[in-house]
Amino acid sequence: MPKNTFMNRFVMPVVPVLLLAIIGYTGYFGSREIDHYTLHQVVAAVTGTLYFVAIAFGTLYVFTSSQMRGATLGESILASFITPFIWMTKEVLVLLESHPFIECLYWYVSPLHIWLVIFMAIEMGAASLFVRKKKMKRGEEAGGKMMPILVVTGGLVIFVLMYAWGKGENLYVIFLEGYRLFFGSGV
Amino acid sequence: MKKKFNEYNLSDPMSRRTILKVTGAALGAGLSGVAGGGITGSLLDVLGTGSARAFASASALKGKPNLLFILGDNHNAQTMGCAGHPFIKTPGMDRLAREGVMFERSFNTTSLCSPSRASILTGMYAHRHGVLNNHTPWTDRESTFMEHLSRAGYATAFIGKWHMPGKLPELPFLDLFVTYTYREGQGAYFNTPMLVNGKEVPSRKPYITEEVTDYAIEFIEKNNPKDGDRPFCVYLSHRPGHPPFQAPADISGMYDEADVAEVLPPQVDPLWYGKTNQNVFQGVMMGSYYDQYRGYCETLTAMDRDIVNILDYLDRKGLSDNTIVIYMGDNGMQWGTHDCHGIREPYEDSIRLPFIVRAPGMVKDPGGKRKQMVLNIDIAPTLLDLAGVRAPADMDGMSIVPAIRNGRAKTRNDFLLEFWRYYPENTPSYRGIRTDRYKYVEFERGRDPWLFDLKKDPKEMVNLYPEKNESDLIKMLQQKLKGYP
Repeated sequence: MPKNTFMNRFVMPVVPVLLLAIIGYTGYFGSREIDHYTLHQVVAAVTGTLYFVAIAFGTLYVFTSSQMRGATLGESILASFITPFIWMTKEVLVLLESHPFIECLYWYVSPLHIWLVIFMAIEMGAASLFVRKKKMKRGEEAGGKMMPILVVTGGLVIFVLMYAWGKGENLYVIFLEGYRLFFGSGV
Repeated sequence: MKKKFNEYNLSDPMSRRTILKVTGAALGAGLSGVAGGGITGSLLDVLGTGSARAFASASALKGKPNLLFILGDNHNAQTMGCAGHPFIKTPGMDRLAREGVMFERSFNTTSLCSPSRASILTGMYAHRHGVLNNHTPWTDRESTFMEHLSRAGYATAFIGKWHMPGKLPELPFLDLFVTYTYREGQGAYFNTPMLVNGKEVPSRKPYITEEVTDYAIEFIEKNNPKDGDRPFCVYLSHRPGHPPFQAPADISGMYDEADVAEVLPPQVDPLWYGKTNQNVFQGVMMGSYYDQYRGYCETLTAMDRDIVNILDYLDRKGLSDNTIVIYMGDNGMQWGTHDCHGIREPYEDSIRLPFIVRAPGMVKDPGGKRKQMVLNIDIAPTLLDLAGVRAPADMDGMSIVPAIRNGRAKTRNDFLLEFWRYYPENTPSYRGIRTDRYKYVEFERGRDPWLFDLKKDPKEMVNLYPEKNESDLIKMLQQKLKGYP
């Protein structure tokens, strides 16, 4: 089978998720301008859901789609990160209103983002298993299933433990200690 | 090792704490000399701590009021039954308001926990006491009102949330210091290990408000002025309503049917509204916004139940008539107003504090409301005034005792608002002035100044700065702002 173009195997899987995120974002924040209470609530609920799904679950689609289109593992991982990374960057830029650039960069490693990355790893593991099954059905070469299972299991354990350990508050405390280590009180 | 008097470098940024230690030691030593050591020694034994109280005579303390200062956390000033909230149950605060007076225009000077707490203790603006944000350590440089009360002979206890960064101070002048350092000093609602006079002890009651209230009641029991001559001052610092909101089992869920939409702004949606502006992701991590608000109210109700308990205890012991009780919050809280969630923006919801004073015999109009402008920095000089102790001249706050007595007594017409950026909250440092009518705020970066006419626009919807930036009004407000150090 001829190899798909970069556009086909990398960009095309990313576009729908990114578009969904943009529509969700615009719709959600735009909904605050709607004076009609019920209409506002409906639009906010729908677009907020779209936005959240795009960021938190977009990896499932991007990874699967890019793998099915012949992307390498590295390309699929990178493609999966594009929408969440844009979201993280938006959050970092929001902080620029009040904090110096270097401190804003530290927000990339906030517990929320770490949580998201671990969740994405779980999704990638699950997507790999799905792709493997599909490829085997087609009679194509499919990788082993040990690694994806390990990633899903390990990721789930870390994800749950991170939450169980003080509902994430303890992680946040460590994050703030790290901030003070690098930047003091910031003022 | 203790320093001798001449070892203190008095050219240092002069710490009132240092002065107090030095003068206390000198007075104690002098009194020991006069009394030949015997009387002073036995008095000190009775008092329990150091030489600081040696010169407070028992007769001078007779008839002094007991002081109970109760502090809530992030308590929006409207979220009390007595403030007209549609569903929250706060019978304790309501009782205080019914039997005392409620200040409807009370504010903090820095809208963030640690600076506000330091201001309450020292009577100073944050630029004076140095706790600028929740990362800046408490320096132990400035004295607290509790130290002055202790020196005047009061039995003093700080119980509950200290929540100032840096190493926990020893505060040796306190008879009892119960606090916690768990999770950045925030503690937890359940089973928080406590530090009692510096020693860690397991929690005795599962829920935090019950735990600290029990310590307060035990302290009062041991220091019941009816058994001796020493009045007490208890600073009872609660954790509610700080997130994550968890109420005890019998209160949890009590507002499940409450109509939250009636209280929160219409642009707030229950499912996705999040903490950081333009971040809907955190909302789902923390749970529905409506449920968070319900949880917030539940924790405040849980705290209120223990306010009821301690008020009942004072009744049972016959102490109510000679105990002045003040309830206040460290900050307000924005629940979606101006698309903000939190305590740090210079909007009214953040800077306004619940503030109730019950002072039997002093308040001539129980149940009355006060319109005077009062601040968190007024607590220290006010408590000292109530105790008949002269407040240090360098406190920025003022005694509001005249305003407690009389709704027409004058307090102030404006005050300084200040805030230092606090990572990772996205609010720039700011400095501003809030007058009876206007609020003018200058930001360090990222935003143009704000000007609100609070008389015409109490909800602060229209920033007048763009149209008035050359006006005499702005110049006047800028001039006033410059007048503050």
